[in-house]
Amino acid sequence: MPQVDVRAPRFAAGVTAVVLTLALLLGSGVLVAAQAAVFAVAAGAGLRRAPYGVLFRVLVAPRLGPAREREPEGPPRFAQVVGLVFTVVGAAGYLLGAPAIGAVATGLALVAALLNAATGFCLGCELYLIARRALPARA
Amino acid sequence: MSGIGAVAVVVAVVMTALVAWWLRSRDGAVRVPQGEEVPVDPVFERLGVEPARAELTVVQFSTAFCGPCRATKARLQQLQTTRPGLAVVQVDAESHLDEVRALDVRRTPTLFYLDPEGRLVGRSSGAPRAEELTALVDAHVGVRP
Repeated sequence: MPQVDVRAPRFAAGVTAVVLTLALLLGSGVLVAAQAAVFAVAAGAGLRRAPYGVLFRVLVAPRLGPAREREPEGPPRFAQVVGLVFTVVGAAGYLLGAPAIGAVATGLALVAALLNAATGFCLGCELYLIARRALPARA
Repeated sequence: MSGIGAVAVVVAVVMTALVAWWLRSRDGAVRVPQGEEVPVDPVFERLGVEPARAELTVVQFSTAFCGPCRATKARLQQLQTTRPGLAVVQVDAESHLDEVRALDVRRTPTLFYLDPEGRLVGRSSGAPRAEELTALVDAHVGVRP
């Protein structure tokens, strides 16, 4: 499993929190959809190719110095799928004329992003173990 | 500017603060099991835990993505240097899913504390605070100065 700098997912969560806050304040379904697209790329192509991952590597990491810790990307990548589900519902709510649903789903995604950025607690990662537990063992 | 969106932002910030506070107060809190729990000895036996060989055996379930797990592991290693009666067994949760289910491990790190008779004297989820972990270990293990 590829490894990522532990600071990268946390940075990405911070950017995500800013984007989702703006989207909520502007009531912009398009912006929520853009964040959903970012999640989709991260989940599908991996964190290293994800937009915020690239941003971290190119702009942030060189200023912070070398990575002190790395982690396997599986759980944070799974967390992107969790984020994707919430933002897809949020974007659909806004764009299909149900802004209340849009705001609630986007708000929940914002909670997860804020929590990760502020405390390092990764809700999607915690769900990863619970999901692995619930599913039968893979061969 | 969206009114409902602004409300959602405020609610989200408050919820985040509440969850962060809840996690903080709960992380590492040691629960002492009550009588009726399922017998855990066979599960620990499968993991190769031999509680009879130490005054206190700590079994730590970790996942690779879990930063607090690394800190807790380091702390336990440090305690072991001056407490020869303390044994630590590290278990990777993902590769021991049967045991994870049997012991109802939901988060990492989850720590189990076993006395020399193999009895479960406590369990905790989330990273324990350093001083609490030390106090708990010292309640069971002699310190070599």
